Amino acid sequence: MSAKGGHPNFLQHHFDTPAQQFDASKLGMWVFIATEILMFGGLFVAYGIFRGNDAEVFFSAHQLLDKKMGALNTIVLLFSSLTAALAVRSAQVGKRQQTSLYLVITIACACIFLVVKYFEYTHKLHDGLLPGHCFGHPWFGDKCLDHGGPAQPLSVEGLPPRANMFFALYFAMTGLHGLHVVLGMSILVWVLIKNIKGHFSPEYFTHVDLGALYWHLVDLVWIYLFPLLYLVG
Amino acid sequence: MAAVDIEHGGHGGHDDAHGDPTAPYYKAKTGWKSWAYTLDHKRIAWLYLTAVALAFLAGGIFALLLRLELFSRGKTIVDAETYNRFFTLHGAIMVFLFIIPSVPGSFGNFFLPIMIGAKDVAFPRLNMLSFYVYVLGAIFALTSIVVGAVDTGWTFYTPYSVQTSTAVISMTFGVFVLGFSSILTGLNFLVTIHTMRAPGMTWGRLPLFVWGMYATAIMQVLATPVLAITLLLLIFERFFGAGIFDPKLGGDPVLFQHFFWFYSHPAVYIMIVPGMAIVSELISTFTRRQIFGKFAIAMSSVGLAILGFLVWGHHMFTAGMSEFSTMLFAALTMLVAIPSGVKVLNWTATMYKGEIRLVTPMLYSMGFIFLFSIGGLTGLFCGTLSVDIHIHDTYFVVAHFHYVMMGGTVMGFLGGLFYWWPKMTGKLYEEGLAKVSFALVFVGFNVTFLSQFIMGSRGMPRRYYDYLPQFEPLHKASTIGSWILASGLFLTAYILLKALISGKKAPPNPWGSAALEWQTATPVPLSNFAETPIVTRDPYDYHLASPEELYDGFPEDREKAAAKPKKAEEKAEKKAEKHEDKDDDE
Amino acid sequence: MSLEPTFQLPEQMSTSAANIDDLYYFIYWLSVVLFVGIIGAMIWFAWTYRARAGHKASPTPHNMVLEVAWTLAPLPILALLFHWGFQGYMDLSVAPANAEEIRVRAFQWGWDFEYKNGESDSSLHIPVGRPIKLVMSSNDVLHAFFVPGLRTKRDLVPGMYSSVWFQATKEGETDLFCAEYCGGKSKDQNGNELDPSQFKGHWAMLSKVHIESNDKYEAYLEGLGGNKPPEERGKALYEKKQCIGCHTVDGNKGVAPTWKGLWGRDETMADGTKVKVDENYIRESILEPNAKIVQGYASPSVMPTYKGTLKDKDIDAIIAYMKTLKE
Repeated sequence: MSAKGGHPNFLQHHFDTPAQQFDASKLGMWVFIATEILMFGGLFVAYGIFRGNDAEVFFSAHQLLDKKMGALNTIVLLFSSLTAALAVRSAQVGKRQQTSLYLVITIACACIFLVVKYFEYTHKLHDGLLPGHCFGHPWFGDKCLDHGGPAQPLSVEGLPPRANMFFALYFAMTGLHGLHVVLGMSILVWVLIKNIKGHFSPEYFTHVDLGALYWHLVDLVWIYLFPLLYLVG
Repeated sequence: MAAVDIEHGGHGGHDDAHGDPTAPYYKAKTGWKSWAYTLDHKRIAWLYLTAVALAFLAGGIFALLLRLELFSRGKTIVDAETYNRFFTLHGAIMVFLFIIPSVPGSFGNFFLPIMIGAKDVAFPRLNMLSFYVYVLGAIFALTSIVVGAVDTGWTFYTPYSVQTSTAVISMTFGVFVLGFSSILTGLNFLVTIHTMRAPGMTWGRLPLFVWGMYATAIMQVLATPVLAITLLLLIFERFFGAGIFDPKLGGDPVLFQHFFWFYSHPAVYIMIVPGMAIVSELISTFTRRQIFGKFAIAMSSVGLAILGFLVWGHHMFTAGMSEFSTMLFAALTMLVAIPSGVKVLNWTATMYKGEIRLVTPMLYSMGFIFLFSIGGLTGLFCGTLSVDIHIHDTYFVVAHFHYVMMGGTVMGFLGGLFYWWPKMTGKLYEEGLAKVSFALVFVGFNVTFLSQFIMGSRGMPRRYYDYLPQFEPLHKASTIGSWILASGLFLTAYILLKALISGKKAPPNPWGSAALEWQTATPVPLSNFAETPIVTRDPYDYHLASPEELYDGFPEDREKAAAKPKKAEEKAEKKAEKHEDKDDDE
Repeated sequence: MSLEPTFQLPEQMSTSAANIDDLYYFIYWLSVVLFVGIIGAMIWFAWTYRARAGHKASPTPHNMVLEVAWTLAPLPILALLFHWGFQGYMDLSVAPANAEEIRVRAFQWGWDFEYKNGESDSSLHIPVGRPIKLVMSSNDVLHAFFVPGLRTKRDLVPGMYSSVWFQATKEGETDLFCAEYCGGKSKDQNGNELDPSQFKGHWAMLSKVHIESNDKYEAYLEGLGGNKPPEERGKALYEKKQCIGCHTVDGNKGVAPTWKGLWGRDETMADGTKVKVDENYIRESILEPNAKIVQGYASPSVMPTYKGTLKDKDIDAIIAYMKTLKE
């Protein structure tokens, strides 16, 4: 890990100083986060528009979401953000094993999130709370995905067929978020492996810092999703 | 630069293009792997240039085919089902596979680091990744073409794009992937410009090409994600029947248009700003002057980037928006004329009292001003509400956007190719033949598209396989123009390839430019500069540049010429000594 | 008011056209002046300041006044264009209260115009000198109603109403185009090339707007409805509603089952079941063409639904006509 001729070995050759490299890496991650916010932003705008058109239907439909599961996921993610931040702190002070521990807990929380999500989704499939043509057709039944077919959305438990729009947005938003949980998790696993291999030091822990930063974004998106979909409707 | 260690493991994240930093960049390492796995921004630029040139060829062939079909009424060469695919693919390929990546991917990659005095971009591996993401996107698009292609128009409007049985999902997924390539390039450039400028390269001294890349990067990064979500929603709709754009399920087909144009309007500025950025470079060099109002031009690029996000509704004046929204978009659209106007006026003012050399790159710059002015002025027709009601979705709009995109960006791109070819390849192209190619392109372009303005204002709608008899002569003229244009473009390719293979050797600064990229050796060494430059002046300040910097011949010749007076001096000294000896003798 | 087409613009046939054309030509001449000025300067500079011996570039001066001037000077012109254009647009959008309404429905690939007397036709007739308002929607994908002579255009969206209004100023015929791409084909089901007159698609939604005197217009409306026997109405609908495009009545097999001898027989469906052709079957076939596909024909069906386009009494009339087509 020692520098050779004043040239630390983690310094990439196109940068002049470690500080420049770190600044560039950090700015890069923030710009990437901006792009993610804009992508999710589009979905939030769509949600706003459709909810504005049909507020009562959305309100009724949202009550079929499991608030308990949603709340559990929120707590899990918030906790995982804490452990991610602690991982960064540990790396900053050079405590390699502690960094690994915190990263592992964060990844484990992500897994719990996905498992809870799995149960939520299977419940929806079971109850036919599906988008579009498949609304009211449990487990994508009646060939509702067959575009030449006759399936039309049906009513579900007192909800009008128009409620399919709420579930279209619910699946689009939580589904895209779920994909990002997997992505964030993969990044953290990669960081964990590098940490175990000893690539980081108090002078160089960029990956941990930026990996955790990305994870915070993933958490933040959920912090907006949960109240909007589960609480307000 | 002596601190560059060749030992592996001594530096983090090493690449195979790490060869001798003083060797020419294309010789530092050899073999196909050194190109396929390169991290050198200059080689990546060549990969992009090859890819976008192929895309331009493909998109151009579809254009020639569709114009051929339109030569006469009824069926000329293909049926309507095929024709619908031709115009869709022409648009999609040109927009997503050619124009958007073209300048940033090629000249941006090659010259941005050099122009700011850096060794590479901030994230070389991300740069390589962005190219391979482009290739992946292209593969999806190609797959779509092979399994039946798409017939929706490049705008993929719903509900037709949800209902048609053509390969929409593979094409839109391909475009989605291409969007990521664009985002990664923009991200890389943003960070590079912010963090890797050489000492003395202040924001104020940045070349206008870099300002243009900066404004483009902002747009790429902020707008493209919205395209991503739009296409994902379309795929979701087609695959799951989700209903977001289907009125029978409570959705709104016009919402797709809002989402689509929220990206696609900034996208057109992503397309034109790089072309304008090139023109600024060319005009400065070929008038041998600082650009008039440099600050204004830099700010106008940023202004276009910001304003470009506010006007998307002007593509939807007949779509059924509320009168209030329509009014708002129309008013904002008028404002966007100002930054473009400022550029054209400032460039023209730069020519006043300059020292103008009418070589091919300068001809392309003047061609740009000519054609972009027409394109921009016809934008006034499109942005004026009551007139737009008449010309929307007619050939008038088709002519307008071809004037700005092709008459603009492509002219800038071609000018940039001729201008920077000596620096990139170390070879000179044949100037006489290049002027001929310019004439063919310029004349061919105008014949092709001027006729379309007239067709459009007379009522000829877009995307028509067949048309009424009164439009036939103008269609014929337009098709003939396309042949002239194509011949000019093929000749251009021939000239450049011939120069690459067997052209005369180029001196480091054949144009005698004061800009920083011309102060490197030719061919450019792997590490760009022998030593990190310390910048002490603006790149266009000719009156502050030294004769060495502006010298347009070979360094060896300069040394010989310097040696000559020295030799004469020595001779004179010896003679003087002899005289002294003689005097002593006497 | 220009009664002749100009080089750039078609004949003016509505009260809104003159103002739009004036604005168009204002922008045109403004553009010509600016273009000639700028490009003229550019070419003159290129010649006068071309590089030659003894001629050096002078360092670029700053001229803040000039720069500010040409940044701000366009603003009033742009404001004028906006204001004039917006006024014209509002004029095009807000129909007079006494405008007569015609309901327009577009579909792949044709038009249906429903007049004030409830009768429909596939071509548009309007009276001269009176304001007409079109209330429009689409049955399937996006279309657009475009009549260059009237200077009007508006998209037709499924699930939504849009409207335009105009007042024609002279009798005659003028072109009607669909201006929003909506697909199309030039081959039939079996891949055979169609004659151009048989083309179906975005460009083939070509029609004419017939602008007639008020008397002729009223007479036309009378002719649409009237006390015709149902079989005659059915036959007229068979032609006007484009059933004739796919169904023959002479026994020839086309892309769709012939109507000759159809009534009352047992048809075999694609899945092998037999169905009797009665009122219910015909009604279902018209409103939900994909519900039952006859064996040997394309599935999914290419027949558009006539839900919303044919009323119950129209369907009755068609059934009455079918009953007359005996074997």
